[in-house]
Amino acid sequence: MSRHTYARQAAIVGIGATEFSKNSGRSELQLALEACAAACADAGVEPSQVNGLSTFTMETNPENEIMRGLGISELTHFSRIHFGGGAPCATVQYAAMAVTTGVADYVLCYRAFNERSGRRFGTGVQDRPAGATAEEAQFAWTSPHGLLTPASWVAMFATRMMHEYGVSSEDFGRVAVADRKHAATNPAAHFYGQPITLEDHQASRWIVEPLHLLDCCQESDGGQAILVTTAERARDLVQPAVLIEAAAQGMADDQQMMRSFFRDSLVGLPEMGTCARQIWETSGLSPADVKTAVLYDHFTPFVLAQLEEFGFCQPGEAKDFIADGGIELGGRLPVNTHGGQLGEAYIHGMNGIAEGVRQVRGTSVNQVAGAEHVLVTGGTGVPTSALMLGVDR
Amino acid sequence: MAADELVAELRAFVGSEGPVQTARHPVNGPAIADWCDAIGDGNPVYTDEEAAAKSRHGGIVAPPATLDIWDRPGLPAQPRWRPAGLAPAEDPRSHVMRKLEDAGFIGVVAVNSELEIARYLRPGDLLQNKQVLEDVSEEKHTALGVGHFVTTRQRYETVDREHVGDLLFRILKFKPNTGKAAAPAEGDRPAPDPSPSLRPRPGINRDNQALFDGYRLHELRVPQCQGCRRVFFPPAPRCAACGSFEMGYAVASGRGTLHSFTVVHHPQVPGFRYPLVVGLVELEPPDTGGPGGSAVRIVADLVGVRPDQVEVGMPLEVDWLDSHPAQVDGATDSRGPITVPQFRPATPRRREDTVVASALRDGERLPLWTLPLSPTHIVAGALATRDFQDVHHDRDLAHQKGSQDIFLNINTSLGYMERYVTDFLGPEAVVSALRVRLGAPAYPYLPLTFTGSVQSVDRETGRVVVGVQASNDLGPHITGTVELELQP
Repeated sequence: MSRHTYARQAAIVGIGATEFSKNSGRSELQLALEACAAACADAGVEPSQVNGLSTFTMETNPENEIMRGLGISELTHFSRIHFGGGAPCATVQYAAMAVTTGVADYVLCYRAFNERSGRRFGTGVQDRPAGATAEEAQFAWTSPHGLLTPASWVAMFATRMMHEYGVSSEDFGRVAVADRKHAATNPAAHFYGQPITLEDHQASRWIVEPLHLLDCCQESDGGQAILVTTAERARDLVQPAVLIEAAAQGMADDQQMMRSFFRDSLVGLPEMGTCARQIWETSGLSPADVKTAVLYDHFTPFVLAQLEEFGFCQPGEAKDFIADGGIELGGRLPVNTHGGQLGEAYIHGMNGIAEGVRQVRGTSVNQVAGAEHVLVTGGTGVPTSALMLGVDR
Repeated sequence: MAADELVAELRAFVGSEGPVQTARHPVNGPAIADWCDAIGDGNPVYTDEEAAAKSRHGGIVAPPATLDIWDRPGLPAQPRWRPAGLAPAEDPRSHVMRKLEDAGFIGVVAVNSELEIARYLRPGDLLQNKQVLEDVSEEKHTALGVGHFVTTRQRYETVDREHVGDLLFRILKFKPNTGKAAAPAEGDRPAPDPSPSLRPRPGINRDNQALFDGYRLHELRVPQCQGCRRVFFPPAPRCAACGSFEMGYAVASGRGTLHSFTVVHHPQVPGFRYPLVVGLVELEPPDTGGPGGSAVRIVADLVGVRPDQVEVGMPLEVDWLDSHPAQVDGATDSRGPITVPQFRPATPRRREDTVVASALRDGERLPLWTLPLSPTHIVAGALATRDFQDVHHDRDLAHQKGSQDIFLNINTSLGYMERYVTDFLGPEAVVSALRVRLGAPAYPYLPLTFTGSVQSVDRETGRVVVGVQASNDLGPHITGTVELELQP
């Protein structure tokens, strides 16, 4: 048993976001600065006090421009996490490590993009030049055969889940129905006031079989920032401290970038299993302690696999766990109470961390009673990350 | 001439009989063997003296689908090849067809063909037939164009007047480019150009080049550590098991099973046809001369199979696609396009014993058979069935006659259908009838996929009816039945 030594020593003290839209009408840099400034304001911290930044390698807004825009005179920590949507919880982990080791005092984690009005991820990689670096050459095994989009990569796993576990398209649809139910009551969500039924899901067009349109997250414009400092400093700020009870990154077992088709089994998410083991060991908690979770939902099938990897149910039993509203408000484990990336917005999982913070603070629009420990996860099918957030007592 | 006048003139011939047409050569072993080569039919009762002697036939027989090929007049009957002084054929169908061609109906396709077999032909049988014109239709508006259906029946006998079988045959003579073009559905975007060279290019580098070089040679190479002989995928410069940097490859058989798959609908990009079936194929392990390592899987698109025919676990075999202008480590490779693997359903095995009727289940499905159809298949089939119509071998003339390419002739389609069913039931299944309706033309490069099921079984008499359909991307090519007799 190993415990990460920064556990409960660092806290999230501020969250800030832009509106979520399909066309922001401003630059990605402006979105990032608006989100960062909002997170500082939420915490009651002057932006100039920030001396650390952490973001994604995919982020287009470099640290020096954030620094200039926020009026920061000196940065002592700036780190980036690779592998796309797997990064969000790891930015917070790096921030926690930086503030608890004295490398930095306040670290802003940020992600901002015009992912709908600018470069759309859903169009895939077909127009990428075929470079031959080790990273680029990984696409040689899929792109020439027409597997070009995240949806097409995830669909390969989904077919196998259906084959081995008897999961159905309707089971995937139940995840979408839950997300959209929660988004419907969240004014910040793109799909506010627009719940769907399982019939809507089944009737939506194919993107890549077995995935319907409504199995796929939105493409969104927007920015989200998270401010981290030590638990000690946090107690002097305006918001109640939200402790980082555990944080983890994970890669496992013949890992590929969202195309781990060559490992023995395709029905689990071993990299998320690596995160789960660290989260439970470090936090000392168990699934029974968790009343709500934010599970990365770029595509519905992997929400089921995450429930299994974290031990909320046995392998192959997630379809039963989510039946009868199991992951809806009022169910056994409400998931993605902000509406998730299918319902609120796709901000590469960073908006999910903000919802975890609101649940711990008790300020979610879909508040779950007794949410003292909230699990948040990063992207699935990729090298990933996870967080356990908790109340400070 | 007005359409109704033409019909009246043509219908005057209905009921008329042609002259007796006698074959120039008897049924013979070399021609049977050529037919078997063209169709790929390995049934030993057609070519193996010893096996045929032991069979219920007591000796070599001709494939039943060849009934109507033996007395064909061959190349000299084609208009451009007819020697001066040789009168055009006088049978009623030829007469009607000439009249229709004069009126602009120059396109021709076969529509129905029904062969009824009274007895199998044997080498030495000299055949003759007499044709009766059964019907000429009103002018019809078909998908191919405005045209007339012409129906004939031919009775086949030996020259000693022993009845051996009958053929009912219906053709459509049509005016090219007068068909009803399918209107695109509202909101449909034009399909992207499917040329394989437009596919996204693989990044080829020093670590993976050996595999792509192998693909070019149609070798399905799998990375192999030269230290511990382990095979793995994708390639890597160092063996994770033994630490060796000595990397080579093993060659896989090209057979595999489908581990998972997807059907891509959106977005649609150049280089592919949609909906696109992409498989995750678990390869039959190569002979490594050492430990195997875990199962090796590769991703490849599937050909010759519709999305609704794909099943996890289905057996597959490799196909090859010349695809991209090549670059290695970013530099142009002068060796021409690279090649990538595709997979098609594994060719079903030919059954060596013959099933008894009581062992068959009603509704039992035949395995999928996907035939990668090339121009050679089409030309070899036409010649082996002694069909010299230009649309089956001359692309330029096929274009002139309104066809996008040469296409498979009916006798070859029937030959494939017969092979498909007898490969499934066994070499001594006796075919009594082959009945088909023809649909979409079978053009080269469109894989032709056969499906079938047992429609009825009479366990008393051993009579079996098998329904068969062969389809390509354009739709069903033939739909019909094979009637057979088995031991009960």
